[in-house]
Amino acid sequence: MLACLCTVLWHLPAVPALNRTGDPGPGPSIQKTYDLTRYLEHQLRSLAGTYLNYLGPPFNEPDFNPPRLGAETLPRATVNLDVWQNLSDKLRLTQNYEAYSHLLCYLRGLNRQAATAELRRSLAHFCTSLQGLLGSIAGVMAALGYPLPQPLPGTEPTWSPDPAHSDFLQKMDDFWLLKELQTWLWRSAKDFNRLKKKMQPPAAAVTLRLEAHGF
Amino acid sequence: MADCIARVMDFTLCLTQRSRMVDSKRMRMTSNFQWPLLTFILLYLMNQVNSQKKGAPHDLKCITNNLQVWDCSWKAPSGAGHGTFYEVCIENGSYSCYPSEKTNIKIPALSPGDHEVVISPLRDFGSSISKFILSEKNVSLIPDTPEILNLSADFPTSTLHLKWSDRGSVLPRHSNVIWEIKILRKKNMEIVKSVTHNTTLNGKDTVHHWSWTSDMPLECATHYVGIRCYVDDTHFSGHKEWSDWSQLKNVSWSPDSQTKVFPQDKVILVGSDVIVCCVTRDNVSSAQIGLTKCPLIHLDGKNVAIKIHNISVSASSGTNVVFTTEDNIYGTVLFAGYPPDIPQKLNCETYDLKEIVCSWNPGRPTALVGPRVTSYTLFESFSGKNVRFKRTEASTNESHQLFFQMLPNQEIYNFTLNAHNPLGQSESMILVNITEKVYPHSPTSVKVKDVNSTAVTLSWRLPGNFAKIKFLCQIEINKTNSIQELRNVTIKGVENSSYLVAVDKLNPYTIYTFRIRCSTETFWKWSKWSNEKQYLTTEAIPSKGPDTWREWSSDGKNLIIYWKPLPVNEANGKILSYNVSCSSDEETQSLSEIPDPQHKAELQLDKNDYIISVVAKNSVGSSPPSKIASMEIPNDDLKIEQAVGMGNGIPLTWNYDPNMTCDYVIKWCNSSRSEPCLMDWKKVPSNSTATVIESDQFRPGVRYHFFLYGCRNQGYQLLRSIIGYIEELAPIVAPNFTVEDTSADSILVKWEDIPVEELRGFLRGYLFYFEKGERDTSKMRSLESGRSDVKVKNITDISQKTLRIADLQGKTSYHLVLRAYTDGGMGPEKSMFVVTKENSVGLIIAILIPVAVAIIVGVVTSILCYRKREWIKETFYPDIPNPENCKALQFQKSVCQGNSTLKTLEMNPCTPNSVEVLETRSIVPKIEDTEIISPVAEHLEDSSDAEPENHVVVSYCPPVIEEEIANPGLDEGGGTSQVIYIDIQSMYQPQAKPEEEQENDAVGGAGYKPQMHLPVTSTVEDLAADDDLEKTAGYRPQANVNTWNLVSPDSPRSTDSNSEIVSFGSPCSINSRQFLIPPKDEDSPKSNGGGWSFTNFFQNKPND
Repeated sequence: MLACLCTVLWHLPAVPALNRTGDPGPGPSIQKTYDLTRYLEHQLRSLAGTYLNYLGPPFNEPDFNPPRLGAETLPRATVNLDVWQNLSDKLRLTQNYEAYSHLLCYLRGLNRQAATAELRRSLAHFCTSLQGLLGSIAGVMAALGYPLPQPLPGTEPTWSPDPAHSDFLQKMDDFWLLKELQTWLWRSAKDFNRLKKKMQPPAAAVTLRLEAHGF
Repeated sequence: MADCIARVMDFTLCLTQRSRMVDSKRMRMTSNFQWPLLTFILLYLMNQVNSQKKGAPHDLKCITNNLQVWDCSWKAPSGAGHGTFYEVCIENGSYSCYPSEKTNIKIPALSPGDHEVVISPLRDFGSSISKFILSEKNVSLIPDTPEILNLSADFPTSTLHLKWSDRGSVLPRHSNVIWEIKILRKKNMEIVKSVTHNTTLNGKDTVHHWSWTSDMPLECATHYVGIRCYVDDTHFSGHKEWSDWSQLKNVSWSPDSQTKVFPQDKVILVGSDVIVCCVTRDNVSSAQIGLTKCPLIHLDGKNVAIKIHNISVSASSGTNVVFTTEDNIYGTVLFAGYPPDIPQKLNCETYDLKEIVCSWNPGRPTALVGPRVTSYTLFESFSGKNVRFKRTEASTNESHQLFFQMLPNQEIYNFTLNAHNPLGQSESMILVNITEKVYPHSPTSVKVKDVNSTAVTLSWRLPGNFAKIKFLCQIEINKTNSIQELRNVTIKGVENSSYLVAVDKLNPYTIYTFRIRCSTETFWKWSKWSNEKQYLTTEAIPSKGPDTWREWSSDGKNLIIYWKPLPVNEANGKILSYNVSCSSDEETQSLSEIPDPQHKAELQLDKNDYIISVVAKNSVGSSPPSKIASMEIPNDDLKIEQAVGMGNGIPLTWNYDPNMTCDYVIKWCNSSRSEPCLMDWKKVPSNSTATVIESDQFRPGVRYHFFLYGCRNQGYQLLRSIIGYIEELAPIVAPNFTVEDTSADSILVKWEDIPVEELRGFLRGYLFYFEKGERDTSKMRSLESGRSDVKVKNITDISQKTLRIADLQGKTSYHLVLRAYTDGGMGPEKSMFVVTKENSVGLIIAILIPVAVAIIVGVVTSILCYRKREWIKETFYPDIPNPENCKALQFQKSVCQGNSTLKTLEMNPCTPNSVEVLETRSIVPKIEDTEIISPVAEHLEDSSDAEPENHVVVSYCPPVIEEEIANPGLDEGGGTSQVIYIDIQSMYQPQAKPEEEQENDAVGGAGYKPQMHLPVTSTVEDLAADDDLEKTAGYRPQANVNTWNLVSPDSPRSTDSNSEIVSFGSPCSINSRQFLIPPKDEDSPKSNGGGWSFTNFFQNKPND
């Protein structure tokens, strides 16, 4: 009996589940990423106000909603609800990572064109924050053991003004960039909220399941 | 025949008309040839008549397009067949004929003048010959229709470029050509522009260009262009006409499938009008610029345009123009701004002669940014080099700068700054000699090095290649507590940027602050100041010995040497110690070194003459010795003088004394200190006769003692001794004074001196005030000389210490005040109250006189009383009659006894001399005047007192009295019938209830008023009573109560003059203690109201 107990104790450190008790897991980093998306959302609201005023009317009118033309290269945040719900964690994170990588590049291009110094400062500040979000997403992916998506060589997205692109179309693109960025931030908040709930301890998970039944 | 004539006439007219049209000059020529012409017409008519049979060629018409060949045509004669040949013969100097198969012929241009043209139809025998007169005037010049070589459109600029050839080679002469170009728009060919363009032919085919910028973008609608020309040859006398219009050429934009708005990203001048169109296949619902909606102008198809008038300046991202279709929006951005302003304040200078910096102000903002921003190019014309301005951060109105590398061996530069933006360009020029425009950098790395204690070297760096120029540098030298000094130095410029100058004439051991700035010798600008560099110069030996003085100690055995620390500029370093030595003829004695903070030394010397020398030492060396003689030459002729300062110092003057060979010395000390005291001293050159002693230590109101010493043969003699104040103040205390002696009319006051410290000035006198006054009353009042009741004595003799104040009143309190004053003001006052002594003689007199008067009065009274003793007795002490003699009383007794309840006295015919109501009562009334009390009154009172409710009233019996009076024997015999009126109040005093009685009286009305005894004596009285009987029944009050009340309730007086009772009854107040004397004198029946007096007192006497 005593020998049996000793054997169990001897093998106890080898049990992986117990071994992990000190590791907080990806939960906190997901929470941080979620917080960051909310913060960026808030920050973008102020930046978009300034930038749309810079673009002038009708871009800064509240009901201005042009068709999405010429901004096809922008990653789309809108997705079918079923598709979104069925996304795997890895794909969900990969899509986020790729989207922000692209958006960041475009945003930097936007910064280069901005005519006023104040606007450039605001954009640069936002770019830094977005870079932080990207790093945060990368951290979550690393914590979950997912590899980072590698950009294909030569397909680095740029936002340099096309010679055939008129200023007006450029403004439309800028408008859509900001709008898409905002949609992405909303989506990311939902993505990370979902992930967060998923990664919570089992007790919490039960609660979640109960909630799900409620729906 | 008629037809022919008509035709000839026609032709002639036609010719005439044409010639008119061509030139008025030619018209005149024509008129000159009228007669030959008529002859010719006649000939012609003959010819026509001959050829009537088959007709003739007619209507000859010539035109030219190049002035070299005339193309003449005519109409064939009627009936002429197809194969008719013509021979055309022209008389042009020679006669030449040309065959022609057609009805036209090209002939070389004929010389000026009329030429006969004969057209003969050949092989047609029926036809006749036609003769025409032809001249240049009849020829029309119609240029060939021009052809557009090329029409191109520059869509971004909305410009049409037209290219055509003038075909100048076919027109031999240098003629002016007018081209008319028309531009039509849209498919319905609206003419939008028609312009003329002049050229000159040069004999060669020249291609001409013409450009036109459309207000509407060319993409918006198809534009058509046509051209025609008019050759204006001045030498051609014929008719000139416009050519036909060329074939129209058009430009149109071939739209791709995408809808577009034009112009795209156009930069336009603020305030201009602009048309923006939308080339689309959709229906455009609205258009707006910024937030403003614009009306649509419909173009071909579904294209629309808007016209913007007077566009305002754009924001940095441009002005958006948006067209909205059903499902999309299209737009463009317009950039409304200004062309660049002329660069202002263009200035070129160099910091280092290596690089030229040109700076300018861009002037008015263009409102264009980004790729449309103004670009600047700086062009140097001598070298042909230029630099472009690289835009840094959006610099709106700040100064711009461009750097231009200097070229070797070039000093003069001619710069042109060109500003350019999409709306235009402007430029500024400047010609500079760059060696005159050097603005050096501020010197750096300033270093200081010693040369000696009064000189240093300054080195600094000034980067740049200045080998060819000279610098003018300023060195600012700052010394603490001193005015800053600026020294200018000229330095030759060097290549290695290092500069070095020596700075001399500095003070040893002094902290200096240096800073430097430079400019070129041909001044342009000072550089900025370098950083400050602080430096302490090295020490040097002290330049002078210390200022010394000596004092003998109070016991005269020791000599104390004092010296002052050397000022910084003389110490030349930090003084470490002093050496003191004394030398006499025999020996030299040296003391040990005295360290610096100590500035005195005590020497024990005998009375020999010594010379004491003091030397200051610093780290470099010793100062020259300061020498002072120990000897003091006595001066007996000394007196203490006074002096008062002016301003900050005390001026001292003295007479010039040639014997004084060395300096005068003034030493001073606070006079309150004990000797020897020394605060400070001052040396004055021997040739001076005045000085002002100034010291920070001087305080107002403090007495200082000044001693002026003269120096003679190396010995000092005290010349003057002065006490003085820097400023006099008022004394702070009052003199302490006491009263030495007091008499009835004088006071002797004595006071003490005020101590010097509290005097605070030279005492100039005392002010003594005095006035009558008690301590309490005059306490608050200040004594001022202005008041009339205050007497003042000004005591200017300050040695006076007492004062006698005379002429005072005896036994009176006096307020004395004493205060001292200086030139600085009045001191506080000290006051005292003194009562003068009583005047004894007066007192005695005051006592003696009343005593003497009293004695005399007493004696006189006694004599009078003695002499009038009989009268007095009768008056004041008459015999009392015996009541037993009265029968009436006996009668009345029974009556009264029978009716005890009603005690009213019945008016019975009785003649009582007096009435006494006898009732046995134990109470003895208290009567003051017992001497004259009536027993009757006594009883009366008793009865009334015992039974007040029974109204016991003793009344009168006037009728009975009258009868009784008739019995004179009784009256006169005894004399007892007189009633003594006594003080009524004294009678009633035991009751002491006058008010109650008054009330009772008022109620009862007929109540008893026990004021008297029954009047039974005087007939006069009886008469009066008789009179009264008519008015009063029974009781009569002796006085009118109302009158009492009116006068005074406390002191009612029976002096009612209206009442007759006065003469009878009691005329006096019940309060009165006076005797009421009945008015026996009939002459004055009513005078009894005056009260008691001496005269009344004696008046009764004659009646006795």
